[in-house]
Amino acid sequence: MTTEELEQLLAQQPIALLHRLARGRVQRHFRAGKRRLIEVLLRHSAENRAGFESDLMTLIGEKPVQPAPAPPHATTVRKSKLSAPPYRLGKRPAGPESQEPGITLATWLEGLGVPSSLQPFIPDAWQENAIAKLRESDVVVSVPTGSGKTYVAVEAARRAIAENRTVIYTSPLKALSNTKYTEFSKIFGADQVGILTGDRRENRQAPLLIMTTEILRNLLYDAGGGEIDVRLDTLGLVILDESQYIADPERGVVWEETIIFCPSQAKLLLLSASIGNPHDIADWLTSIRQMPCHLIKHSTRTVPLRAGYLHPNGKLSPLFRTVGIPHGHQGHLHPEAKRLFAQYEDETQPSGRRR
Amino acid sequence: MPPSIHPVDLIVALRAKHLTPAIVFLTSRRACDEAMQAFDHSHIVLPPVRQEAIAAVLDKVIAQYPSIAEHPLIPIVQRIGVAAHHAGHLPSWKIAVEELMRHGCLDAVFATTTLAAGVDFPARTVIITQSSIRKSRDFMDLTIGEVQQIAGRAGRRGKDLVGFAIVTPSPYIDLTVLTKGFTGHPEAINSQFVISYPMVLNLLKAHPLDQIQPILAKSFAQFQLNQRAEVLERKLDDLRVQMDPFGPRVCTDWIAEWQTFDQVRRQKTHRAPIRKFESPEIAARFHFLTPGRVVGFGRSRGVVLRQYRSKGQKSPMITALRQGGGITESPASTVTEISDRILDCVDAPVYPWCTPGTVEELLQSLDELPTKLPELPILIPKSNEPIPDAIVQILGDFACPTCPSRAACQNDYPLASKLRQEQQRHIKSIQALRTSLWHRFQEKIDVLQQFGYLTPMARLTDDGEWARLIRIDHSLLITELLRANAFNGADPAMLAAVMSSISNDDDRPGSFPRVSSGLASLLGQVRKLAASLSPHEEPPLLRADIAAVTERWIGDPTLTWIGLCKSTSMAEGDIYRLLARTLEFLSQLHTLKATHPGLADTASRAIAALRRGVLEELP
Repeated sequence: MTTEELEQLLAQQPIALLHRLARGRVQRHFRAGKRRLIEVLLRHSAENRAGFESDLMTLIGEKPVQPAPAPPHATTVRKSKLSAPPYRLGKRPAGPESQEPGITLATWLEGLGVPSSLQPFIPDAWQENAIAKLRESDVVVSVPTGSGKTYVAVEAARRAIAENRTVIYTSPLKALSNTKYTEFSKIFGADQVGILTGDRRENRQAPLLIMTTEILRNLLYDAGGGEIDVRLDTLGLVILDESQYIADPERGVVWEETIIFCPSQAKLLLLSASIGNPHDIADWLTSIRQMPCHLIKHSTRTVPLRAGYLHPNGKLSPLFRTVGIPHGHQGHLHPEAKRLFAQYEDETQPSGRRR
Repeated sequence: MPPSIHPVDLIVALRAKHLTPAIVFLTSRRACDEAMQAFDHSHIVLPPVRQEAIAAVLDKVIAQYPSIAEHPLIPIVQRIGVAAHHAGHLPSWKIAVEELMRHGCLDAVFATTTLAAGVDFPARTVIITQSSIRKSRDFMDLTIGEVQQIAGRAGRRGKDLVGFAIVTPSPYIDLTVLTKGFTGHPEAINSQFVISYPMVLNLLKAHPLDQIQPILAKSFAQFQLNQRAEVLERKLDDLRVQMDPFGPRVCTDWIAEWQTFDQVRRQKTHRAPIRKFESPEIAARFHFLTPGRVVGFGRSRGVVLRQYRSKGQKSPMITALRQGGGITESPASTVTEISDRILDCVDAPVYPWCTPGTVEELLQSLDELPTKLPELPILIPKSNEPIPDAIVQILGDFACPTCPSRAACQNDYPLASKLRQEQQRHIKSIQALRTSLWHRFQEKIDVLQQFGYLTPMARLTDDGEWARLIRIDHSLLITELLRANAFNGADPAMLAAVMSSISNDDDRPGSFPRVSSGLASLLGQVRKLAASLSPHEEPPLLRADIAAVTERWIGDPTLTWIGLCKSTSMAEGDIYRLLARTLEFLSQLHTLKATHPGLADTASRAIAALRRGVLEELP
């Protein structure tokens, strides 16, 4: 076995095995990191190479599962890894580490471009489903950012207006309210849309009212106190956009109050980005509202996402071994990205310590 | 190697791979501004066609919002096709950048991560440069939800087939946080139900007190508390099963019975504790074994020369001069008699612990002493309180010693009592979970009653009727200020200035215009009141320098926006936000027309004075 092969073999072993190997050979081996340990072991092995190798083989043989023989095409990748082995990555990523090589940059960049124009807009199944379900129950929608939640809001509002019902649309930020006001005015016509924010009140008798959630909460307070301000009796639909704000430390309570005090004849449509427990929100609504609430959730993005790594020297590499995002496998880093990042850490943190 | 990629190189690299337009998320506003400066002399200019397209879009926006016509970033935006977009900019500038992005005119926008939620425009590519975000003074790792929110901006529906989220390292980046964010499942969200004073007033306005608890029970907060309570209830059920074998025995509640019996038993044994070191007798007498004291050791007599405690000896020691001239070291307990007689003794720090002359004198006077000496009466504290009679009586009442299940009880007691304690702990926590919201609500009611906004029957008083209309942060401070007539005679500028310093929660330092003396003294009073309210409401920062900005803007109607910006180091966007929030607070005061006509009038005049220039033009 050449020294290089030995080094390679050692690099593949778990650190625990290296420590067992070092016991009795190296002093204070428990203080060394993996790379240093390999270095010291190699230096030591010069004295008794045969003994060292046989010990190593016994230890490897003891392991219940022997590492699968590497596929021949992976050697090149392995070599590149060797120059800056992967264990330099700060915390060791969880998840199984398969030895497959990553995809190439060209594959990763493939598909980049503009979809052929004049493609008719076809609503996704979940969008249709949400609009249909809203006919008889409240709906909670939790989908990734940019999936087309607005389409659901617009269609639901259109239907409610056609049925002569008032629609209230709330957003967390005044700026977003203004954007939506412009957007909805274009869709429904300026006379159909009104806006109420802290300092702006326009067309407040319009069937579609846009406001910040705080304003709606205040309206509901006043309605509770007996002073009707807006036509709450004809209210048919309340759309709460960005409703993940319910977890905002300062303002979250406003969303809760709005939902609690929302008149029972109005349907609720909660639009939210992907959150971990949308079913909790739906169960909660079911428990306090008269009708059961329907949950629409999915995690696939309309436009697929790819993650990349750009080195400060301008070199681009895929971040993961797969083309798309390997959900649930955060350890599936692309060897090239791993190598570049390890190099980056080495160069920016000369002590080799993190932070 | 530079710690992070140079902005110009970044744009070049992105253009080369056709990854534009991109949103580059940076740590701070300053990083965004510095990135823009990097393009000052760069040659990576856009072709004239695209420059014209940008100019056309900008012209349209400027027509609507003239305030940005002179914006210093416009030349770079046109020449290179990159822009900065962060909270320090005016909303109109942000609208312009968003509009440019929507038309696909720009190659990159530098934005801060803090505003990931507010950035409402997608791009083909998102560049992530950090793994942590500043949240109230601390840097926190990005959550999975936040990483996905940021990455979610990549890929425009209908314009891109794929979106790209690209990580480029900067110092202190932790790649694991980001890979976890990309591949993980977003975190669960939790209720943040806060009970505020306006909420209490408004609920009590609409509903009688006995209906409040069911309303609170409808909150998401209670829903989640119930979920936790259910988990505990399941544990409680398990415990109940485990407790099955420990049901009633000879006595129904044998655990409690055994517990008291056991305690009483133990107390009995404690009556005569082992005296390890010094008995109370010795401790009490030791005080009197001072140099010169005549003491008796059985039959012989001696004079104490010194007393000491030594580590080697467990009991306190004395050195004594015995009859016959011997100097002995002995434990204090060997003293049998302490006489009421002290001989003159000049002590010395070394052996024989007194001057050699005194030894002779002492020996002589010791011999001359009469055989019978009066004894010193020493009060010795009682060693232990005896068991109270009641317990002694009870001990006789216990059936346990002769009970047939005694062995079983003794055996099972440790486990059974542990289970029962756990049971009781769970029952208590479940109770707390079920009622905590209601308790928090009641605490607020108590405060409002104390200040006279609610009657003892929890109905709104006259003050409560108008106070419920103030539905902003620091509402208690504001309503108390109104009740103290703090704004009587204040001009619109002063009122608005105080409101803005109450509304502001930004503690960034900077340079600001000078504060007028009237405002300074008024703010001093406000600060005093806020401090006195601090047990009930977190006091606001109440910065005088921030108030001065608002005062200037309202006090001087000829002041232009640019003039105002020049008078302070605050960023344009921050000034705008400050004034917009002040506007909101003032419009709340305006709703008090019926009860405070003077104040409402001042507020509306302040609003009118505030809404000019940039503030009028913006939506």
